[in-house]
Amino acid sequence: MSIRKVGVIGAGVMGAGIAAQVANAGVPVVLLDIVVGGAAKAVERMLRADPAPFMGKAPARLVTTGDLGTDLALLADCDWICEAIIERPDAKRALYAQLEAVRKPGSVVSSNTSTIPLAALTEGLAEGFATDFMVTHFFNPPRYMRLLEVVQGPRTRADAVAMVSAFGDRVLGKTVVRCKDTPGFIANRIGGMWMQSAINNAFDLGLTVEEADAVNGRPMGIPKTGVFGLMDLVGIDLGPHVAASMKATLPADDAYVQGLREHAVITTMIAEGRTGRKGKGGFYVRVKGQKLAMNLADGSYRESVKPMLESLALRNLRELAEHPDRAGRYAHAVLLDMMGYAASLVPEIADTIADVDAAMRLGYAWKYGPFELIDRVGAPWLVAALRAAGRPVPKLLEQIGPRSFYRVQDGVLEFFGTDGTYHAVPRAEGVLLLGDIKRRSTPLLKNSSASLWDIGDGVACLEFHSKMNALDPDILGLIGKAVAMGRKGAFKALVIHNEGEQFSVGANIGLALFAANIAAWGEIESMIEGGQKAMRALREAPFPVVGAPSGMALGGGCEVLLHCDAVEAYAETYIGLVEVGVGLIPGWGGCTTMLRRWAEAPRMPKGPMPPVAKAFEMISTAQVAKSATEAKEMMLFRSTDGVVMNRDRLLAAAKARALAMVEGYAPQARASLRLPGATGRAALSMAVQAQVAMGRATPHDVVVCDALANTLTGGDTDFIVETTEDQVLALERQGFMALLKTKGTLARVEHMLETGRPLRN
Amino acid sequence: MTDVVIAAYRRTPFHFAGKGALAKVRGDEMAAAVVRALVADTGIDPATLEDVVMGCAFPEGEQGLNVAKLVAFMAGLPESVAGVTVNRFCGSSMQSVHQAAGAIRMGAGEAFICAGMESMSRVPMMGFNPMPNPGLAKSFPQAYISMGETAENVAMRHQISRAEQEAFSVRSHHKAAAAQAAGKLAAEIVAVAGVEQDGCIRADSSAEALAGLKPAFRADGTVTAGTSSPLTDGATGLLVCSAEYARRHGLKPLAKVLSIAVAGCAPEVMGMGPVGASRKALARAGIQAGDVAVVELNEAFASQALACMRELGIDENRVNKDGGAIALGHPLGATGARIVGKAAQLLQRDGGRYALATQCIGGGQGIATLLEAL
Repeated sequence: MSIRKVGVIGAGVMGAGIAAQVANAGVPVVLLDIVVGGAAKAVERMLRADPAPFMGKAPARLVTTGDLGTDLALLADCDWICEAIIERPDAKRALYAQLEAVRKPGSVVSSNTSTIPLAALTEGLAEGFATDFMVTHFFNPPRYMRLLEVVQGPRTRADAVAMVSAFGDRVLGKTVVRCKDTPGFIANRIGGMWMQSAINNAFDLGLTVEEADAVNGRPMGIPKTGVFGLMDLVGIDLGPHVAASMKATLPADDAYVQGLREHAVITTMIAEGRTGRKGKGGFYVRVKGQKLAMNLADGSYRESVKPMLESLALRNLRELAEHPDRAGRYAHAVLLDMMGYAASLVPEIADTIADVDAAMRLGYAWKYGPFELIDRVGAPWLVAALRAAGRPVPKLLEQIGPRSFYRVQDGVLEFFGTDGTYHAVPRAEGVLLLGDIKRRSTPLLKNSSASLWDIGDGVACLEFHSKMNALDPDILGLIGKAVAMGRKGAFKALVIHNEGEQFSVGANIGLALFAANIAAWGEIESMIEGGQKAMRALREAPFPVVGAPSGMALGGGCEVLLHCDAVEAYAETYIGLVEVGVGLIPGWGGCTTMLRRWAEAPRMPKGPMPPVAKAFEMISTAQVAKSATEAKEMMLFRSTDGVVMNRDRLLAAAKARALAMVEGYAPQARASLRLPGATGRAALSMAVQAQVAMGRATPHDVVVCDALANTLTGGDTDFIVETTEDQVLALERQGFMALLKTKGTLARVEHMLETGRPLRN
Repeated sequence: MTDVVIAAYRRTPFHFAGKGALAKVRGDEMAAAVVRALVADTGIDPATLEDVVMGCAFPEGEQGLNVAKLVAFMAGLPESVAGVTVNRFCGSSMQSVHQAAGAIRMGAGEAFICAGMESMSRVPMMGFNPMPNPGLAKSFPQAYISMGETAENVAMRHQISRAEQEAFSVRSHHKAAAAQAAGKLAAEIVAVAGVEQDGCIRADSSAEALAGLKPAFRADGTVTAGTSSPLTDGATGLLVCSAEYARRHGLKPLAKVLSIAVAGCAPEVMGMGPVGASRKALARAGIQAGDVAVVELNEAFASQALACMRELGIDENRVNKDGGAIALGHPLGATGARIVGKAAQLLQRDGGRYALATQCIGGGQGIATLLEAL
């Protein structure tokens, strides 16, 4: 049995978000709420929300909404029913009893509870229900957080757990982590303890909220919201609820319960509705564009300032934790609490430390899980620090001694098990990670910005690893060398993929600016031409090339993908030609390819203008697709390109796609286009002037748009003659070079490099 | 001399382009429904029709080829009936009336379907392939000026404040809503695709709500989406014939055509087009603006409607009694026939001797039709 239709009950933030993610995966979903019309309103709200729970407009149509009171029958053909109603066991149990009357035999019911033990939820319910019941705990927001905690009861059918886990993994794209039936499961237990410690210690040691967030942020690998920014994001009023539930379910001597404290300032904030971003501000608030921060001592606000403490400049976590200033003492205290607590909970809450680390990375977006953090400071250091503080040393820390929790043995990543020996970090069936391949092999080619790896079965993988994966001459050079190797038969297909946060943020504009400042125009032009040649080499290679992006693929990064024969994209891929933001136009075939894609798109009106107008609109406004699904609508991906929901399965999907294309492969031929020339330019210029009148286009926008229009309309061509791709590529180069020589563009490039934001000049 | 009469008037509901109820209906389907209704209503033998004169501002795509003749086929008219598509942008279907009137007067036919259509959902304004002459665009850019810009120019030159424009828009909506509620629009509407009522009218329109809108065309401007006619889908049709034909077929005409005119003006203030055209039509009929009891002045924008009334010396009480295009919508090619039909209908309904229907036209011109009660 597999899951073809899903029911979600409760259209709050979590329930609605889970339903949206099911729909994002292309699976029909019924969303019910106890409030009449509440589910329909939730869908409306989600269609307007940013960040968007839906990956496009089409998924929203897969959600059928209804009222719990009258529409329970809509769940009759659902294979999996996920309950996400109020956190009250009696209410949940009453609902489950109702479900028994409508759900189909063999269907699975799960609760998205974050606090109630599974045992309490099945009390008094029929035996048949308990075998079909489990906990599936998603993280907020369900679309973006990759963790799914799964808890099974003693009576839960193994095949039910397997079915829901497989659906969570392959269809919803989550990493499924099996948890024990303990309060808060894994991530909220440790995350909650960390937040509590981070708040308590900030009060005790007299840190400002900015200082506390700075320590928790980059040094510990926690998102830069730190702890107070995170509280603002999730809602400060959530704190007392979590505390109450933990107090009710954990033993009184648990370190978490021992540390529970009420801070009068925070109680006042909640009473006054200062519950964070959803309320009237929180620890931070924006007033007339100015960011204010709250004084923890008295709840008053002042201008937010960047913390200036010596210890915060330290890159080494241990050195930070040993520094005598207050940030150092704070880091020491928080690390001891959090790492010591985590070490004490295995195997109570999870079978392995690898599961705990995965849960914290994916559920709280930490860069390192607690055991990876312990490896960074060293287990012996932690043990010594705990002893010095008079705290108990968890058994696991005594067991490990001077060793580390993770090691690489014969090219395999291993973790330290509770049995005192190392085990390979398990990978789900079908998962292929470049990181694993890299541990056990040496690259076929390598320079400082890119490498080529053998990923088996005759497929090579081109990896970018420059800063932010910005494209530079090294990467372009390696593309050329890789293609040359492939031409000689070293491999039969190529995948372009990396495991960085961003696929590529585009060309390294710092290099371009440097060259422009010394008027090295020849060098710049040859870099543009080199880029065009590299892209063309990819497209015209005698073997299939498959792009496998995740995260941002901007500018040149987008152009690399436009020149692949096929793309298998992680659903969370954000792609676009954003060159105008730095006063430039796509110069590596982006203009040419988009013209061709729109010209060849089915259902496009005929004539020379529609493809030009579409490409112009997208590029001139630097549109970025907010999902792979949206990228397809924008023709940045083809309708035949694949969308992979689980990032860990991306490389395997791309490799399979590449291999499937090998037999009978022929590269795409060069095309001719019918472009309008001057008349098209006049039409686009009118559109730009209208934007100027509306105050939406700046003077330098007009300059950039002129160059873009000239390229996209084919320069001096006429629509009765054919314009070749080579001619458009030449126009791309000319436009790019001409713009780079303008003051406006140089100012934009400089501003972007300095601030990371586009200059509106 | 042969009198030309407006013998019947029907139209589809008007709905917002893109998001409205008619977005999925082709323009030719809408027009065919109107033509069928005109024939059925009047009970005429369609073989007696000379021609279908179809106005359309962007006659391409689904409303391309010679859509007038195609609509004739779709409406089941006999092969003997001809069809011609005419384009005078917003004045297209008023031009249909003018062409028919001229033909009837010179004995080149007795009865004409004068219709107009525009699916602004399905054929974009400017068309799919806007290809201006680059030389003209450079030497005389106002030839291609956007309509919103002209509305701003008119507002500035004639000192029409934003508040005045908004008050005018609110009145237009309230008049249309009142007419709709009183059932005064029902008889003219032909249901299409199950849609029976207009979709653009906002009965709850208020000056406060409009004051919150951002300028739509110029950052520091006064014209907003609320004081502009919306992009609209719809079709309209009239039966225009000789008085003799009407008598012979037992028709009850609404009004007779007294005089017609077109006049060019500066394209950057095209909204003032009705002034020159109306003055010509009035002069040709030998009457004054003050003699006109009913005025249908197309509301492309509130600014130009107000400025034209002021220039022509027309009292707003006589203007657009059932609401104008700001409230009802403005399917470009269909509007001219609507306001001629509405003016004729109002003469009959509310009394009065003369009615004026006039409108501005993008590119710099105006068109006017003067009617007389029978």
